[in-house]
Amino acid sequence: MKRIFLFCASTVFLVYVLAPVAWLVSSSVQQEAEITSRPPHWIPREPTLENFEAIFAAKEKQVTYETRRQGDPATGGYIPSTARNLVPAMWNSLIVAVAVVILNLVVSVPAAYAMAKIRFVGRSASIYFMLTTRVIPDIALVVPFFFFIHKLGLLDHLGSLVITYLAITVPFGVFILVGYFESLPDELDKAARIDGCSRLQTLLRVYLPLAVPSLVAVVLFTFLTSWNEFLLALMFTQTPASQTMPIIVAAFTSDFTISFSFINAAGVLAVIPPVILAVVFERYIVSGLTAGAVKG
Amino acid sequence: MARIRLESAGKRYPNGFAALESLSLDIRDKEFVVLLGPSGCGKSTTLNLVAGLEELTSGSLYFDDATMNAVPAHRRDVAMVFQSYALYPHKSVYENIAFGLRMRGHPAGEIEKRVRDAARRLEIEPLLERRPHQLSGGQRQRVALGRALVRQPAVFLMDEPLSNLDAALRIAMRAEIKQLHHTMQTTFVYVTHDQAEALTLADRIVVMRDGVIQQIGSPEAIYDRPRNTFVASFLGNPPINYLEGFLREKENQICFARGALSLILPRQYSERLRGQAGRPVKLGLRAEEVDEHSVPRAGETLHGRVSSVLPVGSDQYLGFEVEGSLLFFRVGRDLRHKEGEHVALSVNVNRAQIFDASTGESLLWDGSA
Repeated sequence: MKRIFLFCASTVFLVYVLAPVAWLVSSSVQQEAEITSRPPHWIPREPTLENFEAIFAAKEKQVTYETRRQGDPATGGYIPSTARNLVPAMWNSLIVAVAVVILNLVVSVPAAYAMAKIRFVGRSASIYFMLTTRVIPDIALVVPFFFFIHKLGLLDHLGSLVITYLAITVPFGVFILVGYFESLPDELDKAARIDGCSRLQTLLRVYLPLAVPSLVAVVLFTFLTSWNEFLLALMFTQTPASQTMPIIVAAFTSDFTISFSFINAAGVLAVIPPVILAVVFERYIVSGLTAGAVKG
Repeated sequence: MARIRLESAGKRYPNGFAALESLSLDIRDKEFVVLLGPSGCGKSTTLNLVAGLEELTSGSLYFDDATMNAVPAHRRDVAMVFQSYALYPHKSVYENIAFGLRMRGHPAGEIEKRVRDAARRLEIEPLLERRPHQLSGGQRQRVALGRALVRQPAVFLMDEPLSNLDAALRIAMRAEIKQLHHTMQTTFVYVTHDQAEALTLADRIVVMRDGVIQQIGSPEAIYDRPRNTFVASFLGNPPINYLEGFLREKENQICFARGALSLILPRQYSERLRGQAGRPVKLGLRAEEVDEHSVPRAGETLHGRVSSVLPVGSDQYLGFEVEGSLLFFRVGRDLRHKEGEHVALSVNVNRAQIFDASTGESLLWDGSA
């Protein structure tokens, strides 16, 4: 009885979570007419890759009100004027996300090691202070961030996003890693130093290989946060030179008209990098997140 | 090979706790010194200071004549064995042992040779390709020893290395560690709270309490001539017995008196105890200092009641009530006393200890080790 209930409940949950994704993928290979048909076709009658072709083809075209019908047969003629910005925006997103991931690790790994293994005055206070910065909603930080970025002359520059995303993601990265490093015995740290490692070598040669699950958790969290972030990107970037994908995709809905097929295809492209990351690191994800959570 | 000197060494943690106030200790080259004390007495802190894992907040540390205060652990020629073994979980046994040599830039061929030698000596050759989690506690202990001994360090440090082993293995490993010290010819500093380990292994024992050295001396000196009741109580199993009473002088002899009990103290004590009649003292009698076979003589006999008989295989413990105090003695198993019986036990007064009743300091201590 209990099993049946559990099975039903998980099925409902699964459908709830996966149905939108399934519809996204399915409609990305449908033509505009088919997407808007009633009842919807969950399995496309005439699958087509034209939506994707349109995205990559849109790159060279200057779309105006007059030329908007020329580009894309699949969409029933509608192609957003910002379409050609999509591929560069994906590059921007990728650059920002990768830069944030790398810088985050460079900062949070040594910080977490120091907080977990070196006794210094204000150690626990610094951990709590860092976490406290994260209970402030981002919207409250937008204005101070804006002035800060403006002073640095980084408005409409990818650097502005890298800096602010680091401010958001480093505290979590440190928190997850501190918890994990603390769970590793202090004597391991002592043994490595006796064996001839400096503090840095201890970290790189002994702690990092053991912390892979937590590192994966930090990488995923950081990458996804940067990849998805909308509010700050909206504030700090104005031109296609620095706009990221969430901004461009959002712009598709507010153009001359809405092209569902085009947005869906863009959505599928947006999902691909995180999915690849998740598949690659799949076996570490659960253990890494709990390792940070149990002790901290 | 190194002589280790701590001069007025102090360690105060950022939270204000002082693990060591002012500790001075001179460890000779090739000596086996055991730091002994209850947990929290500062013995592990002392070891960490010598290792360079913690920094002195006052005083100085010397290896031979070189000041080591500011030298980090990885630049000191020390090796260490930990209670939890602290093997690297992600490395094979071979790599665990080789790691210290690799970090110090030894050539590959020499590393290979030294690791194989150590493995052969510790009989862990078949385990070299395994990971630590595939080993038993005793095997891990051997790998930890191997990791330390391949380094051929000037100073060999051990922090309760046998505490996680079961009793039988512990005794076997004690013998091996003693052997290791003999063949390595290097300075050993060993931390333990196990008095039996200390008595077995040490050239000299350093008894510590609350960050202060209580006594330094050979195992015999520590056991036979404890400086105070703390040291006396910490060594011996079952622990030393105490009787509170007074000193008394009669006919040129010094006695310990309590109620009807009077024990004549040996002649060699008289110099230190003369002229102190009436002073309240504690008499310390080790559990084995009764002679169940000799004929009871006046002044060397305890009259009392057997309150319990506890056989422990090779011998038996007697609970013995004397003048309202309960004492425990270890006697041979052939002695047939029954509970409730009134008997006279002959005492070896030549080894009795006399402590001040209030301070617990020995009145016999002459300042020698």
